Amino acid sequence: MEVKGQLNNVSAPAEHLLEERIKIKPANKAAIVIGLTLTVLSLLTVYAFYSFDYKEFDMTEALIATFANLKVIFLEPHLEHFSFGHALYQVLVTLGLAFLTTLFGAVVAVFFGLLAAENLSSKRVSMIIKGMVAFIRAVPTVLWVLIFAVAAGLGSTAAVIGMTFHSIGYLIKAYSESFEELDRGVIEALQASGANWWQIVFQAVIPSSITYMISWTFLRFEINFAVAVAMGAAAGAGGIGYDMFMASSFYLDMREIGAITYFILAVAIILELFAIRIKNKLKAA
Amino acid sequence: MALLEVNQLTKQFGKHSKALSDVNFSVQEGEFVTIIGPSGAGKSTLLRCINRMIDATGGEIRFQDKSVLNLKKKELKQVRTKIGMIFQHYNLVNRLSVIENTLHGKLGTKSTMAGVLGLYSQEEKQQAVRILNVLGLKEMIYKRADQLSGGQKQRVGIARALIQNPRMLLCDEPIASLDPNSAKVIMDHLKKISTTMGITVIVNLHQVDVAIKYSDRIIGINSGQVVYNGPAENMTPEDIQRIYGSEADELIFDIGGIHAG
Repeated sequence: MEVKGQLNNVSAPAEHLLEERIKIKPANKAAIVIGLTLTVLSLLTVYAFYSFDYKEFDMTEALIATFANLKVIFLEPHLEHFSFGHALYQVLVTLGLAFLTTLFGAVVAVFFGLLAAENLSSKRVSMIIKGMVAFIRAVPTVLWVLIFAVAAGLGSTAAVIGMTFHSIGYLIKAYSESFEELDRGVIEALQASGANWWQIVFQAVIPSSITYMISWTFLRFEINFAVAVAMGAAAGAGGIGYDMFMASSFYLDMREIGAITYFILAVAIILELFAIRIKNKLKAA
Repeated sequence: MALLEVNQLTKQFGKHSKALSDVNFSVQEGEFVTIIGPSGAGKSTLLRCINRMIDATGGEIRFQDKSVLNLKKKELKQVRTKIGMIFQHYNLVNRLSVIENTLHGKLGTKSTMAGVLGLYSQEEKQQAVRILNVLGLKEMIYKRADQLSGGQKQRVGIARALIQNPRMLLCDEPIASLDPNSAKVIMDHLKKISTTMGITVIVNLHQVDVAIKYSDRIIGINSGQVVYNGPAENMTPEDIQRIYGSEADELIFDIGGIHAG
C-alpha cells in the first residue's frame, strides 16, 4: 500500500507536462552562451567581408585566375628540375624523417606514458608529467624545431629533435590514456599474487592496450609525415618538402609543384591504406 | 594452530566512516569460511585487509604466525604469493590466452626479467595444464580470455590462484555475476579445493543459502562488526536478522527448508 502511494506522488508533477509543449532540451546557461557566441561570430564574419578594403581587386577576375593556376598545377604536372627517381628518393627521405621521429617519440613515450597513467603511478607524478606534456603540445611542432634550431642550427638535426619532442608529448598523452582504460581489477589481481610493477606492466597493461598504442603511433606517423614535408621547406631539413619550396619560391614552376603534390598525395593514400590494414589485422587478432 | 588470526582489526576511510571496527576471528588450516553481510558492511574491505590490498588502520593480522601489517614490500610480496585471490569480475587480461592468464599466478615467484618476458619453465607450464584439466578447461587452453563464458572465466581465475600453490584462497563474491548453474560449478570447485587439497578458503557471499550449504563456518558482518561467528548448522533466523537487519525479515526464506535440502 505504502509503495503505491509513493508511486502516485512521483507521477503527479510529471502529469502537467503533458498538456504543454515538451522541450527535449531545456534552456540552460550553457546553451544560451553557446547560442550567443555563434550569433556574434557570424555577425562579425559578415561585417568583416563587408568592411574589407578591396581596392582595385576584382573578385571574379581573381577567382578565374586562381582556377587557371589550379588547372596548371593539377592538370599539367611535369618534372623539370629533377628526375622521377630523385623525387622518389626525396619522398623516402621525408618518410625517413617521419619514421625516425615517430620511433624516437614512441620509445620515450612508452616509459613516460606509464608514469603518467594514474593507475600505474602516483597521482603527483602523473600530474607533473601531464602538465609538462600539455605545455609541450601547446607549442606547435614548427616552433619547437625553430627553438632547437638555435642550438643545432637550421637543418635536419633541429627538425629531428623538434619533431621528436612534440611526438613525445603527443604520444605520452595518447599512451597514458590507453593505459588508464585498463580495468583496475586486473592490476589488483596481479598485485594480489605478488607480481611487481614491471611484470604487471608487461604482462597485463601493454598486452591490453597494444592495439590502441599501435593505432595512435601510426596516426602520429601520418602527422609526422605531413610535418616533415613542411619542415623540408621551413627548416631546410631536406626531402620532398625542400624541393617543393625550391619549385615554388625559387623556380616559380607551378607544374612542378603539381607533380610534387601528386607524389605526396600518393604516399599519403598508401599510408592510409596501410593503416586500415593494420587496424583490421589488430581487430581480428 | 590457526593459519590466520585477525585481532581487533579496524579500518577507517577518511575521518568518520569506519569500515571495520574491532574485528576478531581466526581460521584453521583447510577450513571453508564464508563471510556474509549486507552490501557495504565491509566484507570486501575485510578480505583485502588480509593480503593488504587495503592497509588496515589498526589491529593485528597474523598469517602463518607472521604479522602481516608491518611487513616490508619484499616480505609482503612473499606472503601474497601464498595467498590466492579470486574476484567477482574475474579480472583476467582479456587479450591473453587462458594458459597465459593462468601462468600469471606464478609471476610473484619469478625474477622481474623472466616475468616481463613471460618466460615460464616446463614444470610451471605442466602444472598450469594439469590445473586447467582438473577445472575442465582442457579444450580452452589457447582461447583468448574474452571468448570465454562467465563461468569459464571464473574457473581461469581459480586456476590462476591455484598455480601459486597457495595456503589460502580469498574469494571476493566469486559467484555474484554468474548464473545458478555456473555458480554451483564454481562453489563445488572451491569446496573440493578446501577438502581435498587442504587449502583454506575464505569466501565473501551474498547468498545465505549457498553459504549455509557449503561452509564449515560462517562469519556474519554488519556495519563493520562481527555479529555472528559459528558453524553454518547453528545459524538461526535471529542470527540472520542480526546480520542483515530487521528489514530482511520478510525476504529471508525459510531456513529450515534450506537445512533440510
